[in-house]
Amino acid sequence: MIKDLNIKVWIALIAMCTFLSCKKNYVAPVPDTTWQIFNTSTAKKLVTNTRNKLEGIYTITEGSEVFGVNAALSWSYTITEADTLYHLSMFCEKQVVYMICEGKRLDSSILLNGYWRNMLNTETGIVRFNITSNSGAKELLDSTTSPLQGLTLSGSFGIGEAEPTNPVSLQYQRPLYKGSPLEIIAHRGGGRTADLLPASENSAEIIKLASRFGATGIEIDVRLTSDGVPVLYHDGTLNERLIQKNGLIGPIENYSYRQLTDLVRLIKGEKIPTLRQALDVVLYQTNLKFVWLDTKYDGNMTLQREILEEYQQKAIARGRDLSINIGIPDEMVLKNFKKLNDFRSIPSICELSPQDVTETNAAIWAPRWTLGLQPEETARMQTAGRKVFVWTLDVPENINKYFNEGNFNGILSNYPSSVAYFYYAKQ
Amino acid sequence: MQNNKYFVFLVLLVLTTIKVYSQAEDITSPPEREKPYALLLFVSGGLGYFPSNQGAPDYLQPKISRINAVSTARIMWKPDHRVKVGLETGYVTFYSYKLTGESGKQGKVSLNAVPILLEFSVSVKKHFNLFAGPGVYILNTNLDYEGKTISKKVSTGWMGAAAYTWPLSKKVSIGTEAKWLYASETTRGVFGVQLQMVYKFLKW
Repeated sequence: MIKDLNIKVWIALIAMCTFLSCKKNYVAPVPDTTWQIFNTSTAKKLVTNTRNKLEGIYTITEGSEVFGVNAALSWSYTITEADTLYHLSMFCEKQVVYMICEGKRLDSSILLNGYWRNMLNTETGIVRFNITSNSGAKELLDSTTSPLQGLTLSGSFGIGEAEPTNPVSLQYQRPLYKGSPLEIIAHRGGGRTADLLPASENSAEIIKLASRFGATGIEIDVRLTSDGVPVLYHDGTLNERLIQKNGLIGPIENYSYRQLTDLVRLIKGEKIPTLRQALDVVLYQTNLKFVWLDTKYDGNMTLQREILEEYQQKAIARGRDLSINIGIPDEMVLKNFKKLNDFRSIPSICELSPQDVTETNAAIWAPRWTLGLQPEETARMQTAGRKVFVWTLDVPENINKYFNEGNFNGILSNYPSSVAYFYYAKQ
Repeated sequence: MQNNKYFVFLVLLVLTTIKVYSQAEDITSPPEREKPYALLLFVSGGLGYFPSNQGAPDYLQPKISRINAVSTARIMWKPDHRVKVGLETGYVTFYSYKLTGESGKQGKVSLNAVPILLEFSVSVKKHFNLFAGPGVYILNTNLDYEGKTISKKVSTGWMGAAAYTWPLSKKVSIGTEAKWLYASETTRGVFGVQLQMVYKFLKW
């Protein structure tokens, strides 16, 4: 009898382990934002003056349970073959919540249409604003007026794919802070795949989204294929965290570029981009100002240097203010970096000791945030003409502390929208 | 979070149940033997079935071979207790497929593994044994597309199996074993059915 029961226990245990080993698949898809009146042919793009007047710090008078008390509204743009697309990002005070909208003028009204997202969970939904002539659109559309004190943006938001029915209102308070400049660097090209963004990390597509998330620059991870092509990829191996499962495993350095580009797709379906493809996007499709090439391989760095110099020249030719820097994250890369001819002339970001920064003549020292605010060392670096970036700050309280109490020139974060909020909201 | 609570509760429930039954005298102690200790060699060969549709994405127009050879060998220490402990290794092909790349060129991928597993076994009926244990799988991809590439990675994993054996002599038995081999890197496992020979090669 006992033995019979024992068999049942074992079978139940095995069945239960098998069942419970199934993992939950978390998703946060961008909702379908199709809005009929927004897509009518009579709806026109907003002009620069109107866009500029919408920027500022707003108090959220309705919807604060989802979006927090304040929001910073700032425009960004990306360039496609056909057009320039402008997006109004609303960086919310509440922990890592943002809204991203497109704007149009319809007769005497202004429409804002987009989606919101809470980065700390899977919450997302549609958000829409309809600013009528009487509630501020008349002044916003009038090129002779200044930013409007007391302007109220009234709209609604939904949960998931549901039609937006919950009220949200924002009241203009003051202009965005534009004092001491701060580089807001988005990790992995714009954000991590694990954060369920609309594009995969280290893809060409996520780079296009980075400025909508509040970034002024990006950090991207560079590896070499077996035939020496620099590509963007973070992890040491191909794995299902980053790519669609296809039976290919092991280090990316084992595969040729042709094998990777033909056979591998990132989680959202993109190809693994080459470094050149990524820099093409930065240069020709965004207004990003800073690129941090985080070197992830052990090998000759000559090609990476040549590509950096090539794109730096292209940026100058286009009149772009773009700084591209080779990252030196560890001793292995430092050793390879020092093998380059005249390495002290190469723009670089050194994460190592102040002595290494001096030795490499790095333009930027990048200590990890766990080392603290380091005011004396930061001041010494800045006196020597270098900048100091801190990485990787993700907790909003820490971002606020390091921004307001530290004296850093840049912050690397997986949540650039949170950094952007604290920066623009500074008084 | 709710799932985790259920999982912890169920694990505790099962462990408590096992503990209660395992304290029964006829479970913990086998019939007395003249030489209570032995080492057993299990050699098994058969076929494995990879049941998942994941692993060969549609954009590669895959033609999947789900049934592949699974060969394993294990050594178990049989003490004066019903629970045996041992090691298992072998060679497993999880799956392979023919593909068509973006350029229209044909290729082939196979995902194979050498498991190295710590195993525990109990006899729950006469001649009927259950096996389970954790370990690692030394995975390797064989890719034949625009050149040949072999790439390796170590993955954690586990196995579970049920075997029924018929004794041919005091030292040799033959039998059959059904098993589930799971490497976390592949997300899905392979279900195998094998013929088995057991050789009791040492007693003391």
